[in-house]
Amino acid sequence: MAIADPSNVTMNLPRRDARDKLLGRTRYTVDRMLPRMLHAAILRSEVASARILKIDITRARQMPGVRAIALSEDAPGMHGIGIADHPLFASGVIRFHGEQIAAVAADTYEQAQAAARAIEVELEPLPIVLTMADALAPGARLVHPDWKNYEVLFEGGARGGNVAWEATVVRGDTEAAFARDDVVVVESCFRVGRQNHVSLEPRAVVASYEDGRYHIETSTQVPWTVRNMTAKLLGVLASQVHVTVPPVGGGFGQKFDCTLEPYAAILARKSGQPVRLVYSRQEEMLTCLCRENAEIKIRSAVTKSGDIAGREAVVLMDCGAYGGEQIFLTTMTAHTLGGNYKLGSVKLASRAVYTNTPPNGAFRACNGVYNTFALERHTDEICQAMGMDPLEFRRRNVLGDGDLGATGQVFEGDVLGPMLDRMEKLREASHSKEPLAGGRLYGRATVVGTWFIFVGPSTATINLNADGSATLITAGVELGQGTMVQALPQIVAHELGIHPNDVIVRNADTDAAGFDLGVGGGRTTVSVGAASLAAAADVRNKILHTASELLQTQPERLVLRNGRVEIAGIEGSGMTIAKAVQHAHRLTGPVVGSGSFTNPGVPAMPGCAAGHFIDAIDIPVFNVHDCEVAVDPDTGHVEILSYKVVQDVGRALNPRAIHGQIQGGVTQGLGYALHEEHTIGEDGCIRQDSLETYRVPLALDTVPVEIDLYEGAPSIGPLGAKGAGEVPILNPPAAVACAIANATGCRVQQLPLTPPRVLGLLLGREPAVELPHIKIVSQLAAGLPPAIDLTPFRADRF
Amino acid sequence: MSLRLVVNGEDRVSRAEPLTPLVDVLRDEFHLTGAKVACREGFCGACTVHIDGQPVVSCLVPLGMVEGREVRTVESLAAAGELSPLQRIMEEHDVVQCGMCFPGILMVLTSFFREHPRAERGEIKVALVGNICRCTGYERLVDAAVALAKRS
Ligand code: FES
Ligand code: FES
Repeated sequence: MAIADPSNVTMNLPRRDARDKLLGRTRYTVDRMLPRMLHAAILRSEVASARILKIDITRARQMPGVRAIALSEDAPGMHGIGIADHPLFASGVIRFHGEQIAAVAADTYEQAQAAARAIEVELEPLPIVLTMADALAPGARLVHPDWKNYEVLFEGGARGGNVAWEATVVRGDTEAAFARDDVVVVESCFRVGRQNHVSLEPRAVVASYEDGRYHIETSTQVPWTVRNMTAKLLGVLASQVHVTVPPVGGGFGQKFDCTLEPYAAILARKSGQPVRLVYSRQEEMLTCLCRENAEIKIRSAVTKSGDIAGREAVVLMDCGAYGGEQIFLTTMTAHTLGGNYKLGSVKLASRAVYTNTPPNGAFRACNGVYNTFALERHTDEICQAMGMDPLEFRRRNVLGDGDLGATGQVFEGDVLGPMLDRMEKLREASHSKEPLAGGRLYGRATVVGTWFIFVGPSTATINLNADGSATLITAGVELGQGTMVQALPQIVAHELGIHPNDVIVRNADTDAAGFDLGVGGGRTTVSVGAASLAAAADVRNKILHTASELLQTQPERLVLRNGRVEIAGIEGSGMTIAKAVQHAHRLTGPVVGSGSFTNPGVPAMPGCAAGHFIDAIDIPVFNVHDCEVAVDPDTGHVEILSYKVVQDVGRALNPRAIHGQIQGGVTQGLGYALHEEHTIGEDGCIRQDSLETYRVPLALDTVPVEIDLYEGAPSIGPLGAKGAGEVPILNPPAAVACAIANATGCRVQQLPLTPPRVLGLLLGREPAVELPHIKIVSQLAAGLPPAIDLTPFRADRF
Repeated sequence: MSLRLVVNGEDRVSRAEPLTPLVDVLRDEFHLTGAKVACREGFCGACTVHIDGQPVVSCLVPLGMVEGREVRTVESLAAAGELSPLQRIMEEHDVVQCGMCFPGILMVLTSFFREHPRAERGEIKVALVGNICRCTGYERLVDAAVALAKRS
């Protein structure tokens, strides 16, 4: 078949949505207004654990302006990922501070709030399960006493008590490795807090009920999840829910779940009027679906020559009151903790643990950010124990072509090794910033990381129009990452020989576009991109056939370029694409093509992985980051002196846009490394309820990131691309923590590294993290059967 | 109850209560949704507008305080449909991502450049301390602002 015009694949295509955003004209969900629109407010629990004795709405119903009130009986369904454990409204029991009890729609937001406050709720307090240590203690109160009766949506995870889900990996014989007499055993413990997305546009929705169907306009990353989940919760057919998505003001994973949409949908049906629900910043801070707090214990058996003979690890992930995304995310540990280095044998357990705290969710490079921090600090602790050079150790052990990942998948291509070489060149190209440290402690670290593209199903339709433009219809969403306005039109234009500006991209609409897993996990360029490329190929074939008849030339001899169908090698020959389409209208009808994509699936070693949603990764993405820091020994303040990134992008379709993603992702990672944290009070309430107490990076906190895009690693993505927006956040906490450990000589075990914590380390006042509730017991030493002690939980006990 | 003010050069009358935050009047009553509400506490800067030429966070200004005064919002920056030089350079450098923070950032930098047209990078960053951007990591939009300062 004729080849596409190669001249316009890689380009710094500017965003088409920038101008309206700069003019203040873009209408996000928070800016939508409809005639007769009502405003909704949610009544939330102010205790973390209680039995509900009575809810009385008599008084609230009579309050001025009130049009509808929704309660648990309006949403009979339960939702979840893996396990349906989550009702829309607390029913019978309160499980976290901030849990939704009722929703009210009124003429104004103030009226809705006043009516919500007037709802009378009688509660009987119950004890709180506050921490994962509490949840796993012998005899702990169960957050979900009924866990056995919940609908299982995905089979395979071990469950029991307060362990919502467990995923395990066993490859090879770690016990034998740890028992060898020629190995050194190094054990490390780590703890991290919660990170809030702080998308500038909070979660927001406007719902209406028209012609017997719900229309939901929402600020989401996952229109199809919202459609299906809303239907499940409301107990209606999914086809009765229609979801459209205006431009989204930031997501970062927070909007990767259906959350507030069903409340607005119910109120719209009950009132017969459109209903707007927008969470306040305080609600966003207190119930955000954060990156979860986690605790990690890792130990490794390393030979004198520096090979990792065995590795065992347990990762505890706090899912809060409901399993949600964390159940799925237990899968990630195998790949983020087990996909970087060659391991002779490996045993991993990753558990989502219920507590009476606000539920957590997905956040850019979920689970990977803290596992990479833990793994890289552990790697440096190994090097320190063995007297090895950290860079040499990494070079020796990073995964290369033909090496096995944790679950036994065979990795393709040498990528991390050459990327380490590229980082060395980048380091050599500029002077060390050590002199800038002045009298402060100076440290530097180079770290590696493995992430992957969350692939899965997508579909696309393209109409080739009679004016020569193309309309691309997908359920992809533009969150700010740029894929919908840059990579996708570039891919389609490349295949059709037109300019990307002539590719119209339809906003997500579940009535127009087919099923899609949503925007997240770096999958838009890859999955939506591959589906779009397939649809464009379909259109291309059709137009070439039409033109070949008109031009009396074999389709194989025709090319599409510059908006024309030309005979290969004869510039200006043939006809415009518009002409060919107009001809097709008369001959065969309008030109339309469709394409679908799903991941082909990569095999894991049979029997290695249990309870995983993804046993092996289709598209690994690798990172090498380097950071220089100065630590003030008097205050513990850390300054980032320089930051460098070598990122595996497969093929950079829009290098400038990727640079923007890297600068932004690294900055978010530096925030998590240095000062962003939610902590939880004794009452189970998140302590930081505003942007005053939760500090995100400001302009003075950042440094320009030096970037080298590594191209050419294998990828099944369209034109060899990989998603580039998610992975930049993976490594900054690892790089910063390792650099601070090098600067101070202290054992860095926790994030964030705030001045008080760093000062505590320097003064020897920071208590060591020991995690006694996680036991990694050697079988031979203790005469016990499992190498990773699963107490207090083992599935077979329940 | 009605109160007069000048918004983007036009005389306007608001019927809202004098304690209503200015940002709500602009957005809900005058449908000028350029100014964004992202915190309502003065910390994010997304709601920044000019009052008598000075940048202020409009979530903390009660309507009663602006009686008879001149308010300018991001919608006024492109006079006669032409992007301002600051808007143009941000577009040229392709630094916008989700865009929620830009109305506030543009209003802050517009008044800053009026007083410091040749500002250095460090000064520009200091001027931006009251504006949160969660997407870009600031540096590239600061690069664009520096390029504008160099031109003048
Ligand atoms: S909304 Fe006014 S400063 Fe944040
Ligand atoms: S571009 Fe999204 S907050 Fe700045």
